[in-house]
Amino acid sequence: MKTPGPQLAHQVEDIRERNTFEPRSQSLPTWCPGCGYFGILHAVNNALKQLKKPLHETMIVSGIGCAGRYPFFTNTYGLHAVHGRALPTATGVQMANPDLTVLAIGGDGDGLAIGGAHFPHSIRRDVNINYLLFDNSIYGLTKGQPSPSSPVGTRSKASPYGTVDQPLNATLMALTFGCGFIARLFAGDPTGITQALLQGIRHEGFSFFHILTTCVTFDKSYKTWANLKESVHPLPDTYDPTDYRRSFDEVLTNDFSTGIIFRRPGNGEQAR
Amino acid sequence: MSRIDLTVEVCGLAGDGTIAAGGLINEAMSLGNYFVLGFDSYPAEIRGFGRCVTRSRIGDDEILALDDETHVLISLDDEQSISRVPYLAHDAVIIFDNKPPGYVEEARSLVAHLEAGARLYGIPLTDLATAAAGTPRGKNLTALGAFAGVYGASPELFRYVITKKFEPKGEKVLTANLKSFDAGYEYALAQFADHLVPTFYSSVEGIREDKVMLSGNLAIGFAALDADLKLYFGYPITPATPIMEFLAKKLPSQGGKVVQMEDEISSIAAVLGANHAGARAMTATSGPGFALMTELIGLGVMAEIPAVILNAQRGGPSTGLPTKTEQSDLHSAVYGGTGDSPRIVIAPTTVAECYTYTLKSFQYAEKYQTPVVVLTDFYLDNRVENVPKPIASPEDTERWNIAPDPAGKGSYLRFENTASGISPRSYPGQEGFNFTASGLEHTETGSPDYTPNIHMKMTAKRYRKIQSALTDLPRPEVFYDEDHLAVGVVGWGSSFGSILEAVKRAREKGLSVAALKVTSIYPYHAEEIRSFMVKCEDVLFPELNFSGQLANLMGHLSSRTPYRINEVTGVPLSPRMIFANIKKIIEAGTR
Repeated sequence: MKTPGPQLAHQVEDIRERNTFEPRSQSLPTWCPGCGYFGILHAVNNALKQLKKPLHETMIVSGIGCAGRYPFFTNTYGLHAVHGRALPTATGVQMANPDLTVLAIGGDGDGLAIGGAHFPHSIRRDVNINYLLFDNSIYGLTKGQPSPSSPVGTRSKASPYGTVDQPLNATLMALTFGCGFIARLFAGDPTGITQALLQGIRHEGFSFFHILTTCVTFDKSYKTWANLKESVHPLPDTYDPTDYRRSFDEVLTNDFSTGIIFRRPGNGEQAR
Repeated sequence: MSRIDLTVEVCGLAGDGTIAAGGLINEAMSLGNYFVLGFDSYPAEIRGFGRCVTRSRIGDDEILALDDETHVLISLDDEQSISRVPYLAHDAVIIFDNKPPGYVEEARSLVAHLEAGARLYGIPLTDLATAAAGTPRGKNLTALGAFAGVYGASPELFRYVITKKFEPKGEKVLTANLKSFDAGYEYALAQFADHLVPTFYSSVEGIREDKVMLSGNLAIGFAALDADLKLYFGYPITPATPIMEFLAKKLPSQGGKVVQMEDEISSIAAVLGANHAGARAMTATSGPGFALMTELIGLGVMAEIPAVILNAQRGGPSTGLPTKTEQSDLHSAVYGGTGDSPRIVIAPTTVAECYTYTLKSFQYAEKYQTPVVVLTDFYLDNRVENVPKPIASPEDTERWNIAPDPAGKGSYLRFENTASGISPRSYPGQEGFNFTASGLEHTETGSPDYTPNIHMKMTAKRYRKIQSALTDLPRPEVFYDEDHLAVGVVGWGSSFGSILEAVKRAREKGLSVAALKVTSIYPYHAEEIRSFMVKCEDVLFPELNFSGQLANLMGHLSSRTPYRINEVTGVPLSPRMIFANIKKIIEAGTR
């Protein structure tokens, strides 16, 4: 995807103006060119700027995988932990210092497979952490094995005859577990991610951001940019994210609608 | 030498009040200013109708271990008590119910199984209790009354502890229990006037409350409170659960929290997260849970995060023997995990040390920015000792974190390769000292780097750091040191008491023996251990594990192949057995 020169220059100017590069660290992201994570990084930085959160009061805890590398690319405090354990590690951080803004970041393998047990229990505890699940339905760092969110029939070196396991739907899981704030988002829409983060970070309790994204290197058929752009669409304006039952209808009928899926009414008022 | 050294057992069926009776003996004798060591065994089955046994060793000198022989058996159930006969001294005193409620055929009665020398004190426990209180439920207290009467122990001590225990349950229950006790006491004085063995005469001097009865687990709990623990994350597992339950009750009142996590992996992850963010946090587990934690212990080593992890060992491998004692996680504690991952491993040997070293572990963890594993075991966790009330000194509660120089703001090297290996540590929230820590190998800034030089340099830094902790860690301690020794017995953890008792007996027999207590298992004071071993003709490592794990770790410091005693019987090492081994080694002469 090539961006025409003048448009790029405008975008760079915009970034400079908003100073959204400030949270970026000296280390340049090691992600592949064209990776969806760049958009997410930009969106998170933008949200942190807009929330006026000092970088030293923000802590990013990550698991292992391409998404796990995230904290190296920001100037916040960071802890690149163990595969699958971003959530319990972040729980300890947040409980030790509730003044910190805590983001937990990981991929679909990290959060739905090896770390799957921590997802429902972190939601049960409802500790004030913001969990960003980068869901590209593939193990990228280990070069393209199927993940728990890969569709049935996914072919890869590890599944040459196609997978037979049913995929997990992280948004539906969060809804079922009783999560108080759930957003489904698209890496190609950084503005949408920023908007959701602005609400979700302010939400007192566990906030879940299910970010649909791509692996440009190993996924040539499912969550490609082209497919995602075609499938992803915003929730209708009439959608009421405080209607818990209605949220189920939406998530059961639609895998690619984005926006605030569910928000517990009256949240933020009761402190834990 | 009029030494008092009495081992008393109470044995009954679950529901007889066996454990309660044993506990009351311990408490009463502690108040009478005797030394007490108690250890119970009861069925693992929740509602099992199994055998309960309490053992209490009471003396007027420090008690180091459980004795091999029982001098007094208080039987609340004939059939169960028969199993205790092999452990009785030849002239043991037997206090038993001579008119039990149900018919016991003679062949199945306790009396039929006893040796000729046993001294019988048959008492109608059930009848006496029923007559006194209208219910036979207090027969355990009637038996205690008889014990107090026969042994000349002040009934006031017992009345005091009975009151303390039953007062919360209401006047009626308390009165019934006191009456049951008195009935047994008076009966014994009247019926056995010519056969009393007044032993605890000094117990009439009054009540001494300067000592408290503590189990290893409780001592650990108190230490955590005194260390200003903020967060405890854990998962239920025998025998560590009582620590979580104790803290769940006590921690909130000092501003802390206990969180029961979904597994041991999340427990240690949260402990690391909390410590990373500057709060003191700990977890306690046993072998199977510890095995799950080892990957994250590696993160603590690599990312240099403090953590206190208690491993209350039990029989293994796998689920193993959940309610039996063993010392077989030493290798797991020292080496468990991936790669070269040095951490501090410390093993208390007594209830008092459980307190001391749990408290100190928070400082070790903080200063050396490392996971610290405290190794206890079922025997140490569950045995009770009366110890002076543990009080933390101001220096024990000092913060040992080394903070970065404020002048270094903006150019902070979180993993600075210093001479000691300790890099000053900032906490998230501190301005100008932001960094990202990682389980990946990294440079001094924390940035991932896999080049040969970096990995070599940073691995060496982490080892150097742990080695430098030796200046703070408890030094090996020699008991009965001499310039030349026939046998040096090296021990650790809960079995050191048995070792010391065996060594003491050997010395009383004129044998040239000394004991070495190793508390800091890793890193260890190699030079001091070596200099002890060179003085010994032979070195002996008695351990409650099959592979000889301490011997494997430190045996190379001896110029001769050490002797080993390795038992995995689920019960504490016997002082008599160790003594016999020492004698055998000496009798064998030079090899």
